Amino acid sequence: MKETPGEARIRERMKPGVLCADGFLGDDRRRVGEIIDADRAAAERAGTTLDALADRLGGVLDAAVAGLGGRVELPGGQTAVWREAMGRIPCPFGGCGTFPKGEVELTGPGGETVRFTPLSVHLLAEHGFAQGRGSRYRLEPALLARLFG
Amino acid sequence: MATLTAVAVVSGIAGALAALLVLAERFIANYGECRITINGEKTLTVPGGRSLLESLAAEKVFIPSACGGRGTCSYCKVKILEGGGPLLPTELPLLSESDRAGEVRISCQVKVRNDLRIEIPEELFNVREYRGVVERIRDLTHDIKELRIRLVEPDAIRFTAGQYIQLRAPAYGEQREPVYRAYSISSPPSDGGAVELIIRLVPGGICTTWVFDHLKEGDEVVFNGPYGEFRLTDSDAEMVWVAGGSGMAPFWSMVRQMAEHGSQRTCTYLFGALTKKDLFLVDELRELEDRLPGFRFAPALSKPEPGDEWDGETGLITEVADRAVEQGTGAEAYLCGSGGMIKAACAVLEQKGIGADRTFYDSFT
Repeated sequence: MKETPGEARIRERMKPGVLCADGFLGDDRRRVGEIIDADRAAAERAGTTLDALADRLGGVLDAAVAGLGGRVELPGGQTAVWREAMGRIPCPFGGCGTFPKGEVELTGPGGETVRFTPLSVHLLAEHGFAQGRGSRYRLEPALLARLFG
Repeated sequence: MATLTAVAVVSGIAGALAALLVLAERFIANYGECRITINGEKTLTVPGGRSLLESLAAEKVFIPSACGGRGTCSYCKVKILEGGGPLLPTELPLLSESDRAGEVRISCQVKVRNDLRIEIPEELFNVREYRGVVERIRDLTHDIKELRIRLVEPDAIRFTAGQYIQLRAPAYGEQREPVYRAYSISSPPSDGGAVELIIRLVPGGICTTWVFDHLKEGDEVVFNGPYGEFRLTDSDAEMVWVAGGSGMAPFWSMVRQMAEHGSQRTCTYLFGALTKKDLFLVDELRELEDRLPGFRFAPALSKPEPGDEWDGETGLITEVADRAVEQGTGAEAYLCGSGGMIKAACAVLEQKGIGADRTFYDSFT
């Protein structure tokens, strides 16, 4: 299926150097819509949904931010640490406002680690977008499902 | 032959359309000269058609902007009393309810099509664009650098300790357009021929990646400023300062100015870091403790490592503030850091008697 003009505009905003140095697509060549559809299916295969994963990540974000840079222990045996950063970054889909910069490092009981930002949570919750493969803040649904048990 | 004819016809149509566009731009989109009246006093005459942000910048009136006018940063808010036209869809996500009620608009999205009346803070008339040369880049920690920029044109800057500038990161690598990012000035105002900045690497950050990976001593840089209202009051009230990481910057400017003036003000500076390797300027601040009788520097580590051999304060900076401030009535608090830290610190300080009216902050986010 061809990329729509709207998707093309969003893809342009996701490229490296437009809103952030690395962009949101990593080395993924798929259309944004394809990435979203594939991740939705992956979440279902893992027995969950993107909405549920976004909800869990939101809870982790709140706990980590309250930790003010210290490592916090979470009920499921995971730990998380918040690294603050100056400034705000807009949503590449447009029309959603801006989000504080900074990142959370979430580590599961088995040592698996995933990094995400306040914008990552918004992208997953509101747009079903987990970012392209190879992106720094890529949220693999299967990995998240394992981390959250 | 048929192909050649087709090419000629298509080219002719394209040429005609292009001519029509030029004529349309000249006569229909030509808004002529427009007047922008600022604060009821100063009037600028500008050619219509450009954004308000661009029009003001062309007249050397600089409104803060981090995104180069792409409508993503929300820094360029301006109150437009008349002539701004209807709110645009691109502005709505960036404006709060109180912004809309207060006639605040996103100046990079508003096109100048007619006369306008606007209001901007008076301090913005002091904002200039500066060209400088990087005199020194110094590593303060593994992820924080200090930049010293010697001013070239103009060759001096006037600012108040606590204010910030917007540093321009040029196009580089895959970054196709310049961006501006705000950094507090960390040098004292007396050092007017240069500015120093304390910059922490933001993973994936456009400007900080440029500073850390590309910028060299001797490079020319551009910035504008000074901006901001974060500053010490003129009172003699006791002060509590709270910061972490690059939040050190405005306080490094303030304390050096205090030392130059022989300030007698009592001040406790609580600086939070994770481990010892995240601390910096410790020796310099200890030296200022000797010079300023009322100044105490109290670094605190939230997760000291065994090798740190740390015997100073430990815990989150808010816990340290809770211990350090016994009775805050009459005192003033100054905070610089993330929104989360500021919110948490304000809650602690309020319980100690330092209310919102005596708390001043410079939030990262």
